[in-house]
Amino acid sequence: MAMAGEAAATADTVAKRITIRNMNKFYGSFHALKDLSIEIEPGEFLVLLGPSGCGKSTALRMVAGLEEISSGQLLIGDRDVTDVLPKYRDIAMVFQSYALYPHKTVAENIGFPLKVAKTPKAEMDAAVRDAAAQVELDQLLDRFPGQLSGGQRQRVALARAIIRRPSVFLMDEPLSNLDAKLRGNMRAELKHMQHELGITTVYVTHDQIEAMTLAHRVAIMKDGVLQQLGTPKEVYADPANMFVAGFMGSPPMNFVEGRIADGVFEADGVRLPVAQAADLSAATLGFRPEDSRVAAEGQGMIDGRVFAVELTGDQTLVTLRRGPDSIVVKMPKDFEIQENVTASVAFATDHAYFFDSQSGDRISARLAL
Amino acid sequence: MTAHVPQSGPQSGQAASAVPVQHRRRLFESPAIGRMAPETKFILYAILIGWSLFVLFPIYWLFITSFKTAPAVNEGPFFLPFIDYQPSLHAWRELFVIDYEDTLRAYLNSIVISLAATALSVLFGSMAAYALSRVSFAPNLVTILIFVALLIGLIVAVSAFGVDWRVSAAVAVALFFLLARAVGRRYRVSLANGDILFWIISQRILAPVVVVVPIYMMFQSVRLLDTHLALIVTYAVVNMPIVVWLMYDFFNTIPRDLEESAQLDGATMIMTFREVVLPLSRAGLAATTLLVMILSWNEYLLALFLSTTNAQTMPILVAAMNAGERGILWWTMSVAIVVMIVPVVVLAVILQKYISKGILLGAVKG
Repeated sequence: MAMAGEAAATADTVAKRITIRNMNKFYGSFHALKDLSIEIEPGEFLVLLGPSGCGKSTALRMVAGLEEISSGQLLIGDRDVTDVLPKYRDIAMVFQSYALYPHKTVAENIGFPLKVAKTPKAEMDAAVRDAAAQVELDQLLDRFPGQLSGGQRQRVALARAIIRRPSVFLMDEPLSNLDAKLRGNMRAELKHMQHELGITTVYVTHDQIEAMTLAHRVAIMKDGVLQQLGTPKEVYADPANMFVAGFMGSPPMNFVEGRIADGVFEADGVRLPVAQAADLSAATLGFRPEDSRVAAEGQGMIDGRVFAVELTGDQTLVTLRRGPDSIVVKMPKDFEIQENVTASVAFATDHAYFFDSQSGDRISARLAL
Repeated sequence: MTAHVPQSGPQSGQAASAVPVQHRRRLFESPAIGRMAPETKFILYAILIGWSLFVLFPIYWLFITSFKTAPAVNEGPFFLPFIDYQPSLHAWRELFVIDYEDTLRAYLNSIVISLAATALSVLFGSMAAYALSRVSFAPNLVTILIFVALLIGLIVAVSAFGVDWRVSAAVAVALFFLLARAVGRRYRVSLANGDILFWIISQRILAPVVVVVPIYMMFQSVRLLDTHLALIVTYAVVNMPIVVWLMYDFFNTIPRDLEESAQLDGATMIMTFREVVLPLSRAGLAATTLLVMILSWNEYLLALFLSTTNAQTMPILVAAMNAGERGILWWTMSVAIVVMIVPVVVLAVILQKYISKGILLGAVKG
């Protein structure tokens, strides 16, 4: 984490390491979080990514102290805070709903953590102005949350989090209530701010673009189990299993189900030679839309009928149908093809991935064309 | 990829000379979305005005009757003061000058009892409601049954077999802890918050008349009949289920994120309640207070049993005028009722500004 290290050095707060060891959460007999272990470096921006119900929010709330830790250990810095109340953990949290106090003005909302800490009035006012200026809210201090737009409310929540200079930031889908354009802006601002402050941040989202753009490292979760932990580049280029491969990237990776026998991957109408592969009765071939291109019939690796052609502005998405399966290919924006013609999909051999269909795990097989 | 350019329709060239669609508006059909047809409006206002008269006339009638003398009532009906009859302060004088001790005592009793009972039931009821809305309770059903069985056993032992109550109580407490630990823990059946809430509201489903005699006997045995305390305690308890029910619903509308955020920022439980929960509950508390206050203010049945002279409340005083030796004194009764209405109206006006909507706007999503 060279980048995280640099960020920590520029900040005036001491960023702290978060150590999560074998953390479990049970709701009655439901096992919501299974043996999560992550070491988060000081100043690192870690994103917990996964579909809803995967346990990412539960994990965050356990770090915050809003949910009890059923078993396992949590360290912030050198302190074991497993059974410590939220307020003694030196953390600040931004909620998905922002959780602004509707009966307090923007200034009172931002200053609340200091008011609780019985900070002298003058010092508090200065800190509020400072924090508000940082998120460009200084003109709105006397307004109530109800009079603000979604983006402004988001900034109030951020200002309230940074005013106390906590050693850890926790963010639970903070951008999900904003419209697409604002989300993009706020994403950049968040990233900039985290870099400036150098505060260790744990960020929960289901949006893989947010994860890719913000994170130093991404932890992808499913059904309460950590699937893969790595830099955005690693989880994108070297996914550990089919779930991660399908979750990262937009549009998601294409999958073709088949089997491997005698060094050949076979599927309906597809025969591709593979290297380093043991025979497997259920194997899946995966390739990304952006690594493939549409070729004339018979010229590529997999044939299909052109089902839809969508121009998104900067590129053209071509969807091909092969029986019940769809294959999406990203082509340049000036690419044109008729619908309902048969075409072929070609992709670079080093951008093909093979998975064990049963377990979903990646296998070492490589295309050998 | 072919571009599909929509063909220009046959009408597009004639857009300038387009004629708006003509059709007759049917009766009661609204002219536009969100607007009312004139016929509908007429009928609606006729109903509303009729209903208002129906509701307001008795109050007017009451008010003018309080300024009537006996002949003006008996020879009537007269509706218009100064025209039909000459208004007089005779009844007001009778109640507030001649009989002022009785009137003022009942008036003061009513105020003290309703205020105290309302304060108690709103305070404790909303505390219970807050706990029920924020904490998950799971009392063991078997332990509760053991408790009830031992309580009945205790009563039987003391009253039927004459065992010293201290001895029986000690035995019962010891047995309870023993059985709760030995038997209660083996059964996993437990109640949840919903059960507790229903149990509380079920106290109110029961008509008060069912328990009025036991309550009477209880207060008789502790020599508290005809005291303020008896009525305050009874009203507070009787109204508590309503407070719990209403405030439980209200507390549930306050997003938990707010409290969690406050606690993360270092606030204690009490501070969270004072800074976040209480200001946001103002509307609910005001509405509940008003309702409970009115219920206590107007209560008749329990007051009839539990008070005679010292703790007599206004409803009893008014009802008593119905049965005097001089026949029904409509004029003094009207005065009593008019002054009875006043505090409720004043309270409603004071609390009305808190019972406003939209207080939670901006707390979470827009």
